[in-house]
Amino acid sequence: MAFPFVRLCPRHVSTGLQVCSYATLSKASRPQEKSSAGPVFQYVGQNKKPTPKVFVWGFSFTGALGIPSFVVPDSGRKKPRKYQLTPYRLETAEQISSAACGYGFSLIASSTKDASKLWGMGLNKDSQLGFQRTQHSRHQSYDYVLEPSPVALPLVNPLQTRVLQVACGRAHSLVLTDREGVFSMGNNSYGQCGRRIVEDELMHLLFFSQVACGQDHSLFLTETGKVLACGWGADGQTGLGHHNISSSPVEVGGDLSGVEVQQISTYGDCSLAVSRDGQLFGWGNSEYRQLASVTEATQINSPRHLPLKGCGKVVQAACGGTQVAVLNDKGEVFVWGYGILGKGPNLSESSTPEVIPSTLFGRSQFNPSVAVTRIRCGLSHFAAVTDRGELFVWGKNVRGCLGIGKRDDQYFPWRVTVPGQVVDVACGVDHMVAMAKSLL
Amino acid sequence: MATPAVRMFRRLEGLFCVYKPSGVHWKLVRDSIETNLLKVLNATPSQPLPQEVRFLAQPSTETEAPKGLTLSATSVPVLSKHPLVSGPEFQNIQVGVGHRLDAFSSGVLVLGVGNGNKTLNDLYRTRVTRDYTLEGEFGTATDDFTHTGGVVERSTYEHITQDKLERVLAMLEGANQKALLMYSNVDMRSQEAYEMAVQGLLGPEGKSAPILTGLRCIHFQPPNFILEVQCLNETQKYLRKVVHEIGLELRSTAVCKGIRRTRDGLFTLQDALTRHHWTAADITQAIRQYHSSKKHRKHSLSWDNLNYILLSTDSALIQSS
Repeated sequence: MAFPFVRLCPRHVSTGLQVCSYATLSKASRPQEKSSAGPVFQYVGQNKKPTPKVFVWGFSFTGALGIPSFVVPDSGRKKPRKYQLTPYRLETAEQISSAACGYGFSLIASSTKDASKLWGMGLNKDSQLGFQRTQHSRHQSYDYVLEPSPVALPLVNPLQTRVLQVACGRAHSLVLTDREGVFSMGNNSYGQCGRRIVEDELMHLLFFSQVACGQDHSLFLTETGKVLACGWGADGQTGLGHHNISSSPVEVGGDLSGVEVQQISTYGDCSLAVSRDGQLFGWGNSEYRQLASVTEATQINSPRHLPLKGCGKVVQAACGGTQVAVLNDKGEVFVWGYGILGKGPNLSESSTPEVIPSTLFGRSQFNPSVAVTRIRCGLSHFAAVTDRGELFVWGKNVRGCLGIGKRDDQYFPWRVTVPGQVVDVACGVDHMVAMAKSLL
Repeated sequence: MATPAVRMFRRLEGLFCVYKPSGVHWKLVRDSIETNLLKVLNATPSQPLPQEVRFLAQPSTETEAPKGLTLSATSVPVLSKHPLVSGPEFQNIQVGVGHRLDAFSSGVLVLGVGNGNKTLNDLYRTRVTRDYTLEGEFGTATDDFTHTGGVVERSTYEHITQDKLERVLAMLEGANQKALLMYSNVDMRSQEAYEMAVQGLLGPEGKSAPILTGLRCIHFQPPNFILEVQCLNETQKYLRKVVHEIGLELRSTAVCKGIRRTRDGLFTLQDALTRHHWTAADITQAIRQYHSSKKHRKHSLSWDNLNYILLSTDSALIQSS
């Protein structure tokens, strides 16, 4: 600390021994002068844009996290990291606009016009990440891809088409492009890839706005609001009125005929659709009371309108393995189904929507208007992104997929510490991928 | 029998708050209040000296009959109880200080007299939040995080907008909300933890790291900005460090120009006595006010429920500001 000192003012030094001096304020108590010498550092300019980042966490031995040093450590002294319990930065070549997590694998896509716009990592035994040629043999594909590897899409104009969205199911994946329709890869033993059960064929389809993959079935949403489905139908999850498999996409009828759908969602054996005027339709598995508001049966094979009391206008829906969540226009989250629903350990099943109190998402006296903007479901957990860029997760912590730093299950929404503002998140069975941007 | 001084002291026992100006050590404030109170207590008119009967030997004026003392009973005042012999009645009184404020900060400082010190202990054992107003300035970083410290670095701040500041504050608030949950000793897997989290009652019991339960910007005019903070278990140096870290997060630097405590538990700026009112009369009135407000509160709750009151007064304060 600076010591107080008395400065002798030179002007007043007169001849002789008399020195008139006066004490000035000591250095410690006077505010610093602005014109003191010293460099002024500039760390960022005025036009700095936030940097996009991707974070991954969860079970790493399948390679789904895309970080090879977790599975095969760089040096012999390090041990393989089986569970990544907190978000870990994944370095990507381009800005990732869409990501999807399947059962042990992930796909990340960028909306660039460059040649490589789609990367896959994780399990590839059913070629769900396309053909990944091995170093040793031209005809063999890698079973496990440990690092984001480009997926070659047979595009007509590879330098003009952009990838809009990706979706992953149990052993198949769908890629939606802006000009060339949907591409599907992976296991087609139940027709979920939408092509007739013939190997090595990729088919163009109509103009689509969204694709969603269930466990062994696929749903396609066209720009006009029609839903098409194909794949395994034993639980009626295709919604085509029968319980057989469907090998090519067929339009779904039932209560959805004539309705303009804006969003579809599925991950297990139950499927949901949200119409443009805020109504919710569901079909498929109802063993866990997901569709109990309309039926006591365990399966519905044709879409039925779900009358939800007290939910208001539904804006987004997310479907997991045994549980369902919807988001209304006010930013409130409603959950029902079976499992850890997010209202404490006592509520383990519900057939009617239960609202999750907004105080758990950060609403307080200082911030009375925090609302959830995105809701996603993994197989047995939920994720919600608020308008302030915070990510909340809850549910069963399968192999560390929640990213909260511990392996315990989480019974109510818990913040995930992500260094940045979260834009979107993709949930899988035992891992998650989050797209974020830096604060500044 | 209680003397008038003791009766006056009884009226002075309780809690009250003063406004501590900046640049003054808190001990000086406490000492000057103690001196003022002692002056008034010792200036109360003392009781008349008690008299006692002593058998004094009367000196015989006559020279005859020198032998044989004649004692006569006389009532004399008890000199040992004279104030000049025994000293003033109150040599020192116990004036205790609540949560301390360092020399750089100003604001509400809670003091307790006599029995009030026991209440002070209880008060600070429950979870009490405090409100501060932090004034900051961008562009400089100093070694003690204040504008009077030695300059470590200077940087530009033209890129900072209110929107970016809000984003950084939101991030800090999120981290602190999470810290609140982490430091609470409740088992997260129980239904009780969920109930408490919904009501916002999860928090640390007793000592913990400083946590900001609320943070927002109330004025932004680059390079100056003012933050309103609500915190638990904090020190003023930590708050200055928060201002410094906000500067770092915004890729610039910041120093704290002033810290002002606007509320400490249930004592607010409106109840605080300024320097000219540090007299026994004003303090007695403040303590009377405190006792009457305590009676209103005691009807409906106990110390455990104080947290509800604090949270609801927080919201009332924010809505009124």
